[in-house]
Amino acid sequence: MKYERQLLMPQIGQEGQKKLEQSTVTVIGSGGLGSPVLTYLTCAGIGTIRIFDCDVVSESNLNRQFLHNTKDVDKLKIRSAEEKLSVLNPDVNLIAINKRLDKDNAEDCIKGSDVVVDCVDNIATRITVARACIKLNIPLVEGGVSGFYGYVIDIGRNYPCLSCMGYDKVIQKTPVPILGVTAGVIGCMQANECIKLLLGIGDPLYGRMLTYDGLSASWEEIHVEKSESCPIHKYKIKKQ
Amino acid sequence: MIEVRFFATFREGRGKSSLLEEKDYENTGKILEHFHILREEVAILLLNGVYIASDAPVKDGDVVALFPPVGGG
Repeated sequence: MKYERQLLMPQIGQEGQKKLEQSTVTVIGSGGLGSPVLTYLTCAGIGTIRIFDCDVVSESNLNRQFLHNTKDVDKLKIRSAEEKLSVLNPDVNLIAINKRLDKDNAEDCIKGSDVVVDCVDNIATRITVARACIKLNIPLVEGGVSGFYGYVIDIGRNYPCLSCMGYDKVIQKTPVPILGVTAGVIGCMQANECIKLLLGIGDPLYGRMLTYDGLSASWEEIHVEKSESCPIHKYKIKKQ
Repeated sequence: MIEVRFFATFREGRGKSSLLEEKDYENTGKILEHFHILREEVAILLLNGVYIASDAPVKDGDVVALFPPVGGG
């Protein structure tokens, strides 16, 4: 039986599995973070997974984006991802959309999701996704990587977002150096948070930024609070 | 004492954290200066978990967390 080992878990069981199968998750990006996120959510039997990406596979992606391989170079990432994931678990309803999220379409793109997982490679899109999730009150699992380092945090209407931490003001140098393993570690943690949020189990990473240091092989938490001056949360308060 | 916690690339050459005498550092700006970190290099500057946009005074027992941009995916 496909899900036998997770059905044995008291936190999941038949009831939890049914919940997963009735869930809709939107994953933004099918690259370094998106590869492990999409793989494990597909394996876990999420009912519907929407994938957004507008990029094509390039050779420089292959050190970390394991959903794509040398034969996929120049192919749309959503097509390449869909091919692998549909074989991995044909029972998952995969909806792959070739679109870049922006402030005009973000809400329409994520509408109806139980959880959104942000796997993009730039800060501007992270802020756009967070704004839409907070407005529509959809939990968001956020992750980022650089070199041997990474972080994961859950974001919600009542919990701090990246703008609360001033993260929207920073300009990131590109291309970002990334070891494939680091994206794998953080992506797996994002998938784990997503499953927890869908099932309503455990302690989500709300208000806690979990940071990973692959060089010292250690994890640490940064406690964060909502900011009164946060432009995203402030907007929400005004609308309430 | 003030605990300064470094994250990601800020750890390189500085370690994970450092303790400073509060009397020598009146605000977060002085702390950044001490560690040769420019404000624009800092993506997240938290004082006891709360984001601060500009130099804020520090006192005994405070925890300052410094996080560079980690936005790849």
